[in-house]
Amino acid sequence: MSNQDNYIQADNATNESPYIIKVEHVGKVFGTNTVLTDINFNVKSGEVICIIGSSGSGKSTLLRCVNKFETATSGAIYYHGEDINKIKNFPLFRTKVGMVFQSFNLFNNMDVLKNCTIGQTKVLHRKKEEAKANAIKYLDLVGMSAYVNARPNQLSGGQKQRVAIARALAMEPEVLLFDEPTSALDPEMVGEVLDIMRNLAKSGLTMLVVTHEMGFARDVASRVLFMDKGVIVEDDTPENIFTNPKEDRTKEFLKRVL
Amino acid sequence: MNFFEVIENIITNYWSWILKGIGMTLLVSIVGTIVGLIIGLVIGVIRTISVDKSNKLAYVFKKFINFLIGVYVEIFRGTPMMVQAMVIFWGYAYLSGGNTLDVTLSALFIVSINTGAYMAEIVRGGIISIDKGQFEGAEAIGMNHFQTMLYVVIPQVMRNILPSVCNEFIINIKDTSVLNVIGFAELFYVTNTIVLKNYQTFITYLFTAVIYFVLTFGISRILLLIEKKLAGKKNYVVLGSGNMDAESIALENNREN
Repeated sequence: MSNQDNYIQADNATNESPYIIKVEHVGKVFGTNTVLTDINFNVKSGEVICIIGSSGSGKSTLLRCVNKFETATSGAIYYHGEDINKIKNFPLFRTKVGMVFQSFNLFNNMDVLKNCTIGQTKVLHRKKEEAKANAIKYLDLVGMSAYVNARPNQLSGGQKQRVAIARALAMEPEVLLFDEPTSALDPEMVGEVLDIMRNLAKSGLTMLVVTHEMGFARDVASRVLFMDKGVIVEDDTPENIFTNPKEDRTKEFLKRVL
Repeated sequence: MNFFEVIENIITNYWSWILKGIGMTLLVSIVGTIVGLIIGLVIGVIRTISVDKSNKLAYVFKKFINFLIGVYVEIFRGTPMMVQAMVIFWGYAYLSGGNTLDVTLSALFIVSINTGAYMAEIVRGGIISIDKGQFEGAEAIGMNHFQTMLYVVIPQVMRNILPSVCNEFIINIKDTSVLNVIGFAELFYVTNTIVLKNYQTFITYLFTAVIYFVLTFGISRILLLIEKKLAGKKNYVVLGSGNMDAESIALENNREN
């Protein structure tokens, strides 16, 4: 945490709760289909948590519950001690808990710069000039500042994802959720996105990453959650998960993917 | 009088009526299409508000609003505009004890709400065609529903539905002819009046048919140009897999402008 810089808004960390996010006994049921059962974990400032597990294990649903894209059907999720279902300034919460998607979701009707400024001007009410300078700062960080006038459809997948990361960072989030950010990319573009995520992690950004990239999880994560069939089977350091898993289900999964 | 003498007679004697008729037809079609589009967009924004089932009151209210919108769309799509015009115009007279509405205002009102019913469905289709990720991308940076619709979704919807909107405009130019039943002096009404004077039904209506065709054909060409200008064919690629360097993108964008 020594080299943390402006990704983290220090003033947000001054709160009674030591955790940015606290997930307590969360369950999620779609109709008759139980997707999550009794999920418990916490996110501290500066942590990089990777959530791994096979498809359909509930990883993405869990992530989407954290920024309330999905509403948990039982249990509760707290942001700085405040129940996210009862949050007063909900748009501000969404800016503080940013999200990067598998399918990028850049706004097709705007160029790269506008993609990164629209949220700042309309949601955070920043001045146009300030928003622009800020956007360029983060576009620079992801190596996309030469493309400010490009339209999303003119970019490659890796470039789009880098812009999407800059767009999320421009809102100055406290924690950034990544929902399989490299799964829709051609293999040769996975690296450029992972490199940026590595740098973000190094700079002290709090990250919650659903990923199939085991190498990234092993090298970058401060904690790894292994999920299977809607439950967290193991929550441990990457060393323990990857070299010394306790549960049979974890061992089986790792045998299949490594 | 032979064919050409009749035509000459129409033009020399009634040109100012015809021009007024064309003006009224265009006015009511343009205003009706624009107001109808606005009605359609507003309905589209309201329809897509998602209400949490846990909030019972809001949920029931939303269901009720959806029901009202459904009733509006079905009634105005399901009955002829000619009948709607009579019911609204004479309905007002009946209920107000003999007062009548201004005919031009009534005409604008009727075409607008009739077009609105069709536009609501066109916009609905347009919204369905927008990738769900566009909504999520906007919500993830804290935009509320109205910001999401205004800045992200509606601009894309507009581009997708532009051909259908232009189609509605063309239809309105022709279909507003039914407004003669409430005495609105558009092109058809004017033609009818001329026929009552010159008794040349075939030739006069043929003349009017040509005017209608020139109007619709000319306007459809103009709309096509506008469409091209707005859409910019490069931007139609939804799932681009481009991988251009910054310079070539800048070049390409310059060419487009």
